Amino acid sequence: METKKKLLEIRNLKQYFNIGKPNEVRAVDGISFDIYEGETLGLVGESGCGKSTTGRTIIRLYDATDGEVLYDGVNVHGKKSKEELKSFNHKMQMIFQDPYASLNPRMKVSDVIAEGMDIHGLAKTKEERMNKVYELLETVGLNKEHANRYPHEFSGGQRQRIGIARALAVDPDFIIADEPISALDVSIQAQVVNLMKKLQKEKGLTYLFIAHDLSMVKYISDRIGVMYFGKLVELAPAEELYNNPKHPYTQSLLSAIPLPDPISERSRKRKTYDPKMHNYQADETVELREVSPGHFVLCSEKEFAQYKK
Amino acid sequence: MAQFDEKISKDQFEPAIIDASTSERISKPSLNYWQDAWLRVRKNKGAIVSLVVIGFLIIMALIGPSLSKFDSNKQNTKHANLPPRIEALENISWLPFDGTRTLKNGNVVNPYEQKQIEEYYWFGTDALGRDQFSRVWKGTQISLYIAFLAAFIDMVIGVTFGAVSGYFGGRVDNIMQRIIEVLSGIPNLVIVILMIIVLKPGIISITVALTITGWVSMARVIRAQVLKLKNQEFVLASRTLGASHAKIIFKHLLPNLAGVIIINTMFSIPNAIFFEAFLSFIGLGLQDPLASLGTLIDEGFRAMIAFPYQMLVPAIVISVVMIAFNMIADGLRDALDPKMRD
Amino acid sequence: MSKILEVNNLNISFHTFAGEVKAIRGVNFHLNKGETLAIVGESGSGKSVTTKAIMRLLPESNSEIKEGEILFDGKDLTKLTDKQMQGIRGKEISMIFQDPMTSLNPTMTVGKQIMEPIIKHQNMSKSAAKQRAIELLKLVGIPMAEERFKQYPHQFSGGMRQRVVIAIALACNPQILIADEPTTALDVTIQAQILELMKDLQKKIDTSIIFITHDLGVVANVADRVAVMYGGRIIEIGTVDEIFYNPQHPYTWGLISSMPDLDTAEDELYAIPGSPPDLLNPPKGDAFAPRNEYAMKIDLEQEPPMFKVSDTHYAATWLLHPDAPKVEPPAAVIKRREMYPGFNNK
Repeated sequence: METKKKLLEIRNLKQYFNIGKPNEVRAVDGISFDIYEGETLGLVGESGCGKSTTGRTIIRLYDATDGEVLYDGVNVHGKKSKEELKSFNHKMQMIFQDPYASLNPRMKVSDVIAEGMDIHGLAKTKEERMNKVYELLETVGLNKEHANRYPHEFSGGQRQRIGIARALAVDPDFIIADEPISALDVSIQAQVVNLMKKLQKEKGLTYLFIAHDLSMVKYISDRIGVMYFGKLVELAPAEELYNNPKHPYTQSLLSAIPLPDPISERSRKRKTYDPKMHNYQADETVELREVSPGHFVLCSEKEFAQYKK
Repeated sequence: MAQFDEKISKDQFEPAIIDASTSERISKPSLNYWQDAWLRVRKNKGAIVSLVVIGFLIIMALIGPSLSKFDSNKQNTKHANLPPRIEALENISWLPFDGTRTLKNGNVVNPYEQKQIEEYYWFGTDALGRDQFSRVWKGTQISLYIAFLAAFIDMVIGVTFGAVSGYFGGRVDNIMQRIIEVLSGIPNLVIVILMIIVLKPGIISITVALTITGWVSMARVIRAQVLKLKNQEFVLASRTLGASHAKIIFKHLLPNLAGVIIINTMFSIPNAIFFEAFLSFIGLGLQDPLASLGTLIDEGFRAMIAFPYQMLVPAIVISVVMIAFNMIADGLRDALDPKMRD
Repeated sequence: MSKILEVNNLNISFHTFAGEVKAIRGVNFHLNKGETLAIVGESGSGKSVTTKAIMRLLPESNSEIKEGEILFDGKDLTKLTDKQMQGIRGKEISMIFQDPMTSLNPTMTVGKQIMEPIIKHQNMSKSAAKQRAIELLKLVGIPMAEERFKQYPHQFSGGMRQRVVIAIALACNPQILIADEPTTALDVTIQAQILELMKDLQKKIDTSIIFITHDLGVVANVADRVAVMYGGRIIEIGTVDEIFYNPQHPYTWGLISSMPDLDTAEDELYAIPGSPPDLLNPPKGDAFAPRNEYAMKIDLEQEPPMFKVSDTHYAATWLLHPDAPKVEPPAAVIKRREMYPGFNNK
């Protein structure tokens, strides 16, 4: 893992809304992590914890309040020329949550998919453009006939695959998947996850996979970060996080996921999390510390000693 | 529970060949938004009838004045105040087209015979002996022209203003909204009267007077829609692909606003017709010899008791126009409103 | 166990622009007293339509119950007048909806909203109703019930609101509680609390629950029996153990295998190919056949009847026909059968 190349470094990223007003929201409050080339980093947490905001800030849908996002060593944020921005848009793409809202209902599927190609001038002729669209449709398991239809004629899973094809059209290296499966039916989720895994293998993509469904995240991710109220509370390899969660919030989250297994459900013990239980003193610094190789936990010095045991 | 009415042959239990490609097939015919909307409008009988009525009225407004032998502005004082008379229909006693009129004392007279007039004035004539038929259609033409022009200008200004205000948000939005508030704070009629006094009464000045405040409601509706649309994921997706503002507005926002724009415009047309008629009626509208439905009603109103037909005909036309436009707009709203889609 | 609700051969159609959509095509099931029956299925499988039909909440303008009966307490609910139905809704059968944000009236205090059905159905005085409402708030685990009673819905968090919704549903001690995806809009930790609460309440007040969900984890947690719906039919019904450890229908196999459990490490998840059927023109034969890798010729010709697996377990698949070949279910299903060897597999 240490030898892997860092594709993305997020340094002390902050995203506040309504700054200075009484309703100031610290959606993302100083988080730092790296994403290595070719890996899938899962980001989980409950609604309002800032995981989607993190994704959107990384891709510049919001202007970060503070901190930096280094892509291949270059800061993505701050003032940029048009060319620089375009090259970021080229490398970084996003898959959205709601398959019903993420496709323009007035555009044909071929135009939806080709939008990125048109913006970046990737297709020289009309024929080349259509061929690329057909190719992408096939990549995501649809076919040529679908190109001339409108989004509302498709089912949720099909739409989500069209959204993936749109993101792939500009040949990105890094894709942020913002809850790509949570709006889909169970039998369709597996299709989309399998497709994403297949694409990762074929194209060497790197994913930031944002979700609240922990069992799917565990399955697709190499490492997982857990967010709670704008902070990253734990970051560890997927196996390690599930087998050996350190932070009490992670433990509570894991104990709450119902599994499709009646026997274990009957004997399930739930843990609750109350932020007051840490009882941090004013002079303690609470920060992300590495308790074992690759396993980071947000804790104080005292807790750190405890977790290390 | 398993019961078999008939024997099933064993070969039925061989594996079936399933064509994997069929599982992704969509059986519904491909319909775009407008085709889909048309299917909905077509089911609305009122809207379809209204559409036919409006079509007929527009055609008549265009060719009506030339159907009659008489020019709409030609005065012939000898032929003043004639009641309607139509060839062939004049002999059907219960129709009001026999050229007679009833006096106050109950006597029925026929001015055509009294004055020995051979011509047939289909809708009669006015106090100056002008042919009502051609004047009514000329008036319809001008009323519709003003309404369409005003609605179009409303649309252009309202959509642009609303879209810019909603899309860019923040300070731009703040300033633009204050402008709207100031404009809508001043009573409509005051602005219009001032406008008419400054400009000479005429088609253009009335249109300008109508549009100066008319676009506000369009701008508000569009702004609200843009505020909602600009955070939709397909717009975000376009931004992550690097699309420019112009591209987002023209490719993503406007096509999705089309329905709202059309509905709003369709409602603003009858409003403009009515407002123009109102201005004419209170004497702020078009001046003779120009005729609009409003001025015709105004003139007819002065002679209402003696010659009711002079007011009745334009009043019927304007009512039909208003009702028909409103019904079409209603039908379109049901068809185009995204909330009504299943 | 006595049957409290029985649905027989229910057929419901919707009339749309494009034609008649046969949303429910011959649904049969019953609900026992005091049990939780989970109905699982994808969107469009007809699970919500079925329960809305029980509550008679389907839009009258475009829906039609074509055939069948819903027997409750000896009465056929499909034949009752609106007036009679109002006496049943909220009193005998009540419902919890998915979104706690929209199922409460924002302009009324929470207390008033709980008192409403009590006053309407039980002819209680205002002060007695208030007493009862506060009791209910305490019952669903809302702290400081007396103060909360006077507050408005926006002052409650999502999980607390869903508790209030449950309190309203339970206000008249209904015999049946229909919960339509009550936890889908909630976070996992809140979901866990609500599920816990519902199970707890069921023990205390002995209602029967119909629980609609698409989340198999939730089903495993709350259900006594499970009905799996697909394409407007129930394709498999049985006790929760039978469905999870000895599923018979290929669709159930697919559902169970496509969910990774926490130690799935296979390279690829088992995925059911294709998309749910278009009920505007449902395919001939078994609606699932086009997506079914185990499909036989007969699946394309004839809809399978319900085959009996055990006294409590039925499945609609031709694979259970004595003449059908033995097939190997997906690996995940075999693993499950081994986990729980109590079933003698044919």
